[in-house]
Amino acid sequence: MSGEQKIRAFLFYSGVFIFFIGLPFILSSALSYKFNPRIFRFAKAGLIALKTQPQGASIYLNGALLNEKTPTTINELLPGEYNLRLELENYYPWSAVVSVEAGNVRRMDKIILFPLLPDIKQLNKEKISSFWVDKDKDKVYYFNQEEGIFYKSDLEGENFELIGSFPPMRPLPIKWKISPDKEKLLFFNPYQIVVVNLRPSHKSYPTQSPLVLNFPDRKIIDIFWHSDSYHLILITDSNIEVQEAILQSVPVNLVDLNKKNVSAFYDENKDMLYFIDNQKAADGKFYDNLFKLELSTKFSLIKPKAFEP
Amino acid sequence: MNNAKRIKRYLEIIPGAISWGIIIVLITLSIINPVACAISIIVFDFYWIIRTIYLSTLLVLAHRKLFQEKNKDWLSECQKLDVKKDWRRLYHLIIFPVYKEGLGVLRPSLEALRNSRYPKEKMIVVVAFEERYAHAQANAITLETEFKAAFFGYLSTFHPDKVPGETRTKGANATWAAKRTREFLDRKAIAYEDVIISCFDADTCADREYFGCLTYHFLTQPKPHQASYQPMPVYNNNIWHAPSFARIVEISASFCQMIDSMRLEKFVTFSSHSMSFKTLVEIDYWPVDMVSDDSVIYWKAFLFYKGDYQVIPLYITVSMDVAYSSNLFKTIALQYRQKRRWAWGVENFPFLINGFLHNKDIPLLIKIRRSFQLLESHIMWAIWAVIVILIGPLPILLGGAFFNQMAIGYNLPRITGLLFNFTLATSLALIILSRTILPPRPKDVSWFKNIVMLVEWIIVPIIILILGSTPALDAQTRLMLAKYIEFNPTEKGIR
Repeated sequence: MSGEQKIRAFLFYSGVFIFFIGLPFILSSALSYKFNPRIFRFAKAGLIALKTQPQGASIYLNGALLNEKTPTTINELLPGEYNLRLELENYYPWSAVVSVEAGNVRRMDKIILFPLLPDIKQLNKEKISSFWVDKDKDKVYYFNQEEGIFYKSDLEGENFELIGSFPPMRPLPIKWKISPDKEKLLFFNPYQIVVVNLRPSHKSYPTQSPLVLNFPDRKIIDIFWHSDSYHLILITDSNIEVQEAILQSVPVNLVDLNKKNVSAFYDENKDMLYFIDNQKAADGKFYDNLFKLELSTKFSLIKPKAFEP
Repeated sequence: MNNAKRIKRYLEIIPGAISWGIIIVLITLSIINPVACAISIIVFDFYWIIRTIYLSTLLVLAHRKLFQEKNKDWLSECQKLDVKKDWRRLYHLIIFPVYKEGLGVLRPSLEALRNSRYPKEKMIVVVAFEERYAHAQANAITLETEFKAAFFGYLSTFHPDKVPGETRTKGANATWAAKRTREFLDRKAIAYEDVIISCFDADTCADREYFGCLTYHFLTQPKPHQASYQPMPVYNNNIWHAPSFARIVEISASFCQMIDSMRLEKFVTFSSHSMSFKTLVEIDYWPVDMVSDDSVIYWKAFLFYKGDYQVIPLYITVSMDVAYSSNLFKTIALQYRQKRRWAWGVENFPFLINGFLHNKDIPLLIKIRRSFQLLESHIMWAIWAVIVILIGPLPILLGGAFFNQMAIGYNLPRITGLLFNFTLATSLALIILSRTILPPRPKDVSWFKNIVMLVEWIIVPIIILILGSTPALDAQTRLMLAKYIEFNPTEKGIR
């Protein structure tokens, strides 16, 4: 037998030996078997898979510091409950009682360690009451509803500047809503709507003057922007109407309502209004029903049918 | 269907059935019992890692031997031999079976013979054309004009088409050429036992020392006629110009052959090889109806000599062309077809078992061992990449939440990941070794290509995915379904 063939024979039989000796260890490790000295036999263990954000946290298992840091896997844990504590300098510690089951992995891969000194920064330079972040344009809009002033800045609060004002509203606005094109903002209280143009160059609003719409004879419950960012869908205590967001526009009454406080949902993508109203059924009684009103460019009014018991 | 044909069909079904059986069982297990599937995959992965270490070490040993014997003056070694082993009595018969290969492929092969250090007056060259190829006659005349005078004998043979009992295979052409050469030897009164025949692919360029090396080994064998002589195939003819994909595949093929050269008990002839002409005549030449003539010839001799026949590795190279085409997709298709043809060597299994059934003189143990080795190598070829790449992740994907919360479900991807990283690490060894078997960089190739040839190994996982197991599985499936492939020589000639 040549030298190469002797080496080869040695390698071959070594490989066979390693395979048959190593395989039980690999399989027992894969199946998470561990020798339990208390019962003097192999027992199925469990494991804990740890991932933290940020990484590198020290691990205390039942009070004992482990050598590994996160992310890691703690193997060969006999079934039972373990006190687990994670510590990282300048971060709040994290701790929990973790239950380990035989042959299972306990995945704890969504642990966030929060910093002791959170990075907080005040952005507004003036008194404000609400805000809106335009992520697309990297702008923050601030509103002082009491004094009717609005400002803007970049996302870091830099370049903070006054961009306009609107008449102070009494009572104070109950809600504000951004138009779908993100160029207009409306505030409303039960009797008044103020529409503010966030983009001075907008063709519908050649000036900075806000649009003020008054509703002395009915109470506004809710308002939705139509997908064209031009029409407003008003839910009042007596009807549902559509109004163009311009001065001296004439509202169109779509539905007369029986309920005073109608709850409604507007699907901006399909221009579909869902609302509950109290309608008279064939048996002469009134029932609360859910109606769907299509307000796409077809603007067809579908007459609601009363629920028939 | 008579009994013999029925047995042959059953035997043809066995390799494909086993390969598909393993794959289907593992896929089914991954759904109904992912734990059992995961255990099977881990066992296979561990086996594969040990096998990779073992084979990589054999490659290093073979590579070392190749370099030890590089630049050896073999003719001088022959001259030092005992006078009873007179090398001068020997003739070398070299047959090039050719189909559509043009002069651009054939000329360098013949040129390499003319440049050989072995005396040309002891060389007989046969270019075996296929009569059905339109340019065969013209090419024969051109080559005869250029090379006939350089050798003791030079023959152009033309294998007729549609000979009864034959299929269109390289073996049929080579056999026809060998029979015509036998007539030539008879006319010249040259004894068959004094002739060593080398059957070379058309693009084979033999090393200058090849025939000296072959002669030396032939003369120093205790039973020289009961052995085939296998050089190390490298694909250096156009390797600097070939695209990365084809280059890596062919280098890997060279490495496989080098590894096999260290496993003598399972070493089988492949591609270009040599043997005694006397033996070739005794065993009735190459098969005329089988695609894998290069390996079947070994098994024919093995059966003829009742198991007392071996393949002697020659640690000297014969260089061939890297098969590639005008674009990547054509190259992949070309390589795929070539590998499928190699994998068609699985047809040796029914041939061998059938031979064993009719041969009472070979010990049962040898029959079992050789049958198992042949079957195991083809089945491993067909399933390893499928298991590692496709079935490996299946328990995780199909096992559901229950399996994924189990320890084995957590450990499985880590263990298979380890295998993947280990395979990449062995690729580093391959990169280093591949550099040492490259020919010098041609002047028309940029220095930058050196960098490309280092970086290109990152596509190994893609190559494994495309060419790892699929050609072998394809070949076994076709054999199983009796959809036999014809011999289509790999298109070469791009240099």
